[in-house]
Amino acid sequence: MSAVLPASGLAATREGDSTLARPRSRRMTRLAIEGLRKDFGGSTAIHALDLATREGEFISLLGPSGCGKTTTLRCVAGFEFPDQGRVYIDGEDITALPPERRDIGMVFQNYALFPHLTVRRNLAFGLEMRGVPKEQMARRIDEVLAMVQLTALAERYPRQLSGGQQQRVALARALVIEPRLLLLDEPLANLDAVLREDMRVFIRELQQRVGITTLYVTHDQAEAMVMSDRVAVMLGGRLQQFDVPEAIYLRPRSVDVARFIGRSNLIEGRVHELLPPTGVRVRHAVQTALGMVEGEYDDALAPGRTVQIAIRPEAIHFDAGGPYQGAVKASYFLGSTVEHTVECAGGQTLLVQTAPGQRRAAGTQGALAFEAGHAWIIPS
Amino acid sequence: MDHSVMSVADTLPLPRASRRAAGRSAFWLIAPALVLIGVFLVLPYMNIVLMSLRPPAVGAPYGGGFTVANYAHALGDSYLLGVLADTLLLGFIVTPICLILGYPVAYQLARTRSRWGGLLYVLVLSPLLVGVVVRSFGWLILLSGNGVVNRLLLDLGWIHTGLQLMNNRVGVTIALVHVFLPFMILPLVGVIQSIDPSVESAARSLGASRLRTFLRVVLPLSWPGIQAGTVLVFVLTLSAYVTPVMLGGAQVKTMSVLVVQNLIDNFQWPAGAAQALVLTACGMAVVALYARLTRRLSKGLA
Repeated sequence: MSAVLPASGLAATREGDSTLARPRSRRMTRLAIEGLRKDFGGSTAIHALDLATREGEFISLLGPSGCGKTTTLRCVAGFEFPDQGRVYIDGEDITALPPERRDIGMVFQNYALFPHLTVRRNLAFGLEMRGVPKEQMARRIDEVLAMVQLTALAERYPRQLSGGQQQRVALARALVIEPRLLLLDEPLANLDAVLREDMRVFIRELQQRVGITTLYVTHDQAEAMVMSDRVAVMLGGRLQQFDVPEAIYLRPRSVDVARFIGRSNLIEGRVHELLPPTGVRVRHAVQTALGMVEGEYDDALAPGRTVQIAIRPEAIHFDAGGPYQGAVKASYFLGSTVEHTVECAGGQTLLVQTAPGQRRAAGTQGALAFEAGHAWIIPS
Repeated sequence: MDHSVMSVADTLPLPRASRRAAGRSAFWLIAPALVLIGVFLVLPYMNIVLMSLRPPAVGAPYGGGFTVANYAHALGDSYLLGVLADTLLLGFIVTPICLILGYPVAYQLARTRSRWGGLLYVLVLSPLLVGVVVRSFGWLILLSGNGVVNRLLLDLGWIHTGLQLMNNRVGVTIALVHVFLPFMILPLVGVIQSIDPSVESAARSLGASRLRTFLRVVLPLSWPGIQAGTVLVFVLTLSAYVTPVMLGGAQVKTMSVLVVQNLIDNFQWPAGAAQALVLTACGMAVVALYARLTRRLSKGLA
């Protein structure tokens, strides 16, 4: 479904309609959240959150349930009002505006389609509220229906549609009003696994085609990684790290992020000395229970500083010439990979992920090597 | 998993014999209810229909032979038609008042997350917890010429002569609204609870104000509850007896009051039966017309 999208009605209109100064659906705004704080009866859901997007960016708010990501989204949408802080779209302060005056499209986790209206009337709702003339309304609805490939189902009622189709109607309904910002609240949580993966790509491609600045709330790391330009990791009501997906995964800024995103080996140590620089990052030799580990960080850290080394299980492999000795305690076959628990010197246990061919039986001894550039330092 | 297995099984054609067996066992399941309805609803109704077609007699409920004179009288007498019109009018007054008063309460009750929600339910049901005579007597005390309401208004200086709140349609309407409000609120609460609150949020984010969200989304989605509540209250009002008798005085004659008068006081069983059936037919006709006129609203909600 999502593999190849047909040339959209939107693109056709853009070329044919030369009188338009700029493509109508391009809504590349900048969202800025400053010092956002929200309390619920004594407990704080969000602590002083700062977040700023660039034009047309796809930003994911990623975190476990209760981390404040949905509350943040609802503050942007206008369904919650923050106790402190401000929300801006393109510099305009929208903090106190009611939701109907924010011009923001939102897709809800359970789709929230109007059950008493057909697909077409669902899409027309927002346009009617804006007083869009009849012919223009019909044209815009047809355009967007074509974009989400639902033209044939325009006269159906929501209950006559599958979950994936309802999801696309919800997207279309949010996009047809050509909002300044698109918000999505865990829109794929209720879909089955296969459809979910298709929809990831579908939503991402649609977002890029429309060029709309998007804020996406999810607890699913893979979803956030695949779809986003940048990911904002939230834990316990605080923004932990806001960066491109690769950086979030490979260079976590805190132990909590390293633990939350994927699986990490965390090794305590102390900076021994700085090594001669090779790339953009500073290499350090770190003294750990395993021995000397070479780790990278953005800045030079003073020797003697206590740090944690974060290294992903797939960045460790068995290598006869490797510097670290360990005993395989257990190994689990997962299909595409094998996971080993290896006990090393100093009681340090490492999780090692290899290809199925490199499986080591429990009880065997082996030498381990870290892939160069994959050991990341988190200063304590 | 379970679900998919079920649906596959459902689409498989069953052998005809087993389908017939399934039909038979379903019949036995509803048989007790059918017997109950037959004995306590169908038979009495048939008896009433039969009675309404008999000539009146002295010393017996009705005489031999058949006649349509009772219906001719019920439909031809201007006094009886006036009472019938008054009864229907009372229904047309009480029902919308119940809807207007009940809807906000139902909405609040459906959406509240307060731990006092249970208490609110009890308060809503409270009119039903008191016997109808006691309740009507209560209104009598409140609404009589020298009653609590008139005294209060006089003492406050808002009025200078007592208001006529009883022995007329005002008193009956107030008391009927009071007792039938739960029958409006309860179906509404059920339906409003089933409206996903995020649908309202969606309407707001699409640019609808609170009022337009209510008018365009919440109200149409509440329709099944509105329909159930209004039909219930209307039908109950048509057949109300005790309240009109106690608070209506001589002025407000409803069809039920008249029917009971014919049956008990005048011993005119056939005439009473015919009048009761005319009232029933009128009520059913109004409800059928109502359902037909509002069919469009139910679309997409099934």
